[in-house]
Amino acid sequence: MPAVIETHQLVKTFGSTRALDGLDLRVEQGEVHGFLGPNGAGKSTTIRVLLGLLRADSGRATVLGGHPWRDAVSLHRRLAYVPGDVELWPNLTGGEAIDLLARLRGGLDRRRRDELIERFDLDPSKKGRTYSKGNRQKVAIVAALASDAELLLLDEPTAGLDPLMEVVFQGVIRELKAEGRTVLLSSHILAQVEKLADTISIIRRGRIVQSGTLVEMRHLTRTSIEAVTARPVTGLDQLAGLHGVEVSDSRVRFAVDGQHLDAAVRHLSGFGIQSLTSHPPTLEELMLRHYGDELAASGNGERS
Amino acid sequence: MTATTATPAAPARPARPAAGGGTLTGTGTLVRFALRRDRVKLPAWLLVLTVLVFYYAAALPEVLGDNVQAFGRFMVGPVGALLGGPGYGSDAVTVEIAIVGVYGLYFLIAAALMNILLVARHTRVEEQTGRSELVRASVVGRHAPLTAALVVAAGANVLLALLIGTAMAVSFPHPGQGFLFGASVGALGLVFAGVAAVTAQVSEYSRAASGIAGAVLGAAYVVRAAGDMLGGEAHGSALSWFSPLAWSQQTRPYVDGRWWPLLLSVAAAAGAAAVGYALSARRDVGAGLVAARRGRAAAAAWLSSPLAYAFRLHRASLLWWAAALVVAGVAYGALTQPIVDAFADAGTSELIAVLGGDVSQLLDGYLGAMVLFDALLVSVFVVLGGHAVRAEESRGRAEPVLATAVSRWAWLGGHLAVLAAGAVGLLLVVGVVMGAASAASVGEAGYVADLVVAHLAYAPAVLVLLGVAALLAGVAPRAVGLAWVAFVYGGFIGFFGPLMGPPQWVFNLSPYEHVARVPLEDLTWPPLLVLTAVAAGLVAAGLAGFRRRDLGTT
Repeated sequence: MPAVIETHQLVKTFGSTRALDGLDLRVEQGEVHGFLGPNGAGKSTTIRVLLGLLRADSGRATVLGGHPWRDAVSLHRRLAYVPGDVELWPNLTGGEAIDLLARLRGGLDRRRRDELIERFDLDPSKKGRTYSKGNRQKVAIVAALASDAELLLLDEPTAGLDPLMEVVFQGVIRELKAEGRTVLLSSHILAQVEKLADTISIIRRGRIVQSGTLVEMRHLTRTSIEAVTARPVTGLDQLAGLHGVEVSDSRVRFAVDGQHLDAAVRHLSGFGIQSLTSHPPTLEELMLRHYGDELAASGNGERS
Repeated sequence: MTATTATPAAPARPARPAAGGGTLTGTGTLVRFALRRDRVKLPAWLLVLTVLVFYYAAALPEVLGDNVQAFGRFMVGPVGALLGGPGYGSDAVTVEIAIVGVYGLYFLIAAALMNILLVARHTRVEEQTGRSELVRASVVGRHAPLTAALVVAAGANVLLALLIGTAMAVSFPHPGQGFLFGASVGALGLVFAGVAAVTAQVSEYSRAASGIAGAVLGAAYVVRAAGDMLGGEAHGSALSWFSPLAWSQQTRPYVDGRWWPLLLSVAAAAGAAAVGYALSARRDVGAGLVAARRGRAAAAAWLSSPLAYAFRLHRASLLWWAAALVVAGVAYGALTQPIVDAFADAGTSELIAVLGGDVSQLLDGYLGAMVLFDALLVSVFVVLGGHAVRAEESRGRAEPVLATAVSRWAWLGGHLAVLAAGAVGLLLVVGVVMGAASAASVGEAGYVADLVVAHLAYAPAVLVLLGVAALLAGVAPRAVGLAWVAFVYGGFIGFFGPLMGPPQWVFNLSPYEHVARVPLEDLTWPPLLVLTAVAAGLVAAGLAGFRRRDLGTT
């Protein structure tokens, strides 16, 4: 089956800034694809190119089998978009904005609109300029989700939502996934992506640095092990792929690369394991491996 | 070496809440902050206005040369009263009298706009964007932001008065009179700083706040113009004195200068500022006096196409413009006969030259000038509409719409179609209203049709302005403000060109000059068709440019 989104060596520059620098992204039919990266990595630029709002300088992009710039209008009938920073018309109410955007896409499921407004606890009769950031975000989410779009492009959709609303949002996305729709979910909130995404792509400085299912990516990375053994563990320095080893009496703690996990656990079992905890790498750890050098260099994880 | 007594300092006690006078805490810092933010804008305003004085002082003697008498008749005629003022010194025009009496009004308007924008920028815009919340959360008194804005405005007006005064004083004899003119400009600036301080409290929406202050300026213009036109050769009438613009103009620099009318300006400015303070004490940060109303929970059924969306966004502005033009049309139409009577004895050859006919055509000449005036007002609507379209894009509101099944062509085309239809509609409305009012005033029903035709004849010229705005919005969105250049050029050449006698090509560059001035002249179709084609070409180029470029992103 052809991919829903496919880009090949996509490049977009703004003056001297290379916002996209040879981006290869592939999103398959029916998956929720997490699109992770820090601020300024090129997430929004990618989504805007996929929407035909920006024109790529070079490279190829295909969305739902069409060309995002040339076929913009026909593609937009089949997809829905939630921008990261929602601006509403000051003198239109939220309800009017939802209806307008949905109708301009080609139709509105009124029952679903009302249900979503209810679930997100949104007051649709307030004027655009009186909404808080979170409520503006809800307006855009309802307008996008009240459609029958095959593909949803969500650019940090829950920025500004409170935790309760985030749970509602996750529920709605799971329903959409069950209906077989495809979602591209950009975020720097790792926990959210972890809960929803089947596959993820990590973008850094306009390139995809890693892509795959969560399972695959964890396989490539380290698992943290903590064990209490009957006899003190020795000989750990003989093993390959161990990091951050700490041994104190009967307690041992280390991180091990995926392909060396088996050997490490075998080794431990020779000392009489009394308790063993292991946890897979969190996305924070995945991200830190990709941005760790920057963190060390600049003291923060963001780049302007 | 210090002279303190040796007792060790007591541990610092927590500062008590400031008692009394605390509402102004932090004003000094905010003033410096405002000056830092305005370090380009404010000097630019002052510099441009000062340079303009030198420009007129250098350029006018050439132009005036042989035309002194014509200039004098123009100043005291109805069109001069409409566009210039009460016409003091018309019997012995000098360059400085021409600057003060004819172009002085535009210095006054510029000063008013400078103050409206300045006060709005440092009060309501700050609140609307939420930045003042940050400021007010620190050690800043309740009245400090408004006070800081007014202090900066007052300083700017004093500086403006001194700069213009100095420019006049070094260019012409009687330096005291030069400074009187400068002071009259600064004083009007103060009045509108006060007006803006009031309007900033009323609406929680900055565009509405400056819009209301702009409407006050418009009303001041209408009242002054009507009063001056009714005054005939008497240099204004009692009606004029209801407008702050008249207080500045009634100082009569270089004729028999007097300072006392400026006391009215200062008193009005102080009174308005006091009202502003009183109102601001009655409301919350970020809120207006007029609470935002709730609206409908669902969109009306018709709001479902790009065209309907564009109409919905421009609807409020269209209605306000229609209301303003109806008022102006009624006022100027109803004054037709009284104004003609006021000038009935003034039928000298120079006045006739200015109005382009014989004395019996004084009436038609007046009406023709008024029609051009209306066409320029509708052009302002069009150019502001271009700015609004640009703002849709730059504020990020175009993005979600263009992410739906709306093409670039439909999005910009919808806006332009609404603006074009709106402009033609406004011309029709003001034509009907002014026609009816002047027909009633003169007692000749034929003027209704004449004035409707006269207004609609300007539609192609106004659409050329729309084309310029469309081209800029489509191709060079940051430069959309350049459309004002076309507007100012057209207005200046339209009214002052005949006095200056430039070569014909200078006239030909203005779209408004290709329109026959009905009822004085007969309607000619070919230029209108050419103008329409030019407008269509500009719009097409703008649309093509917009389809090709990246959308501006926030």
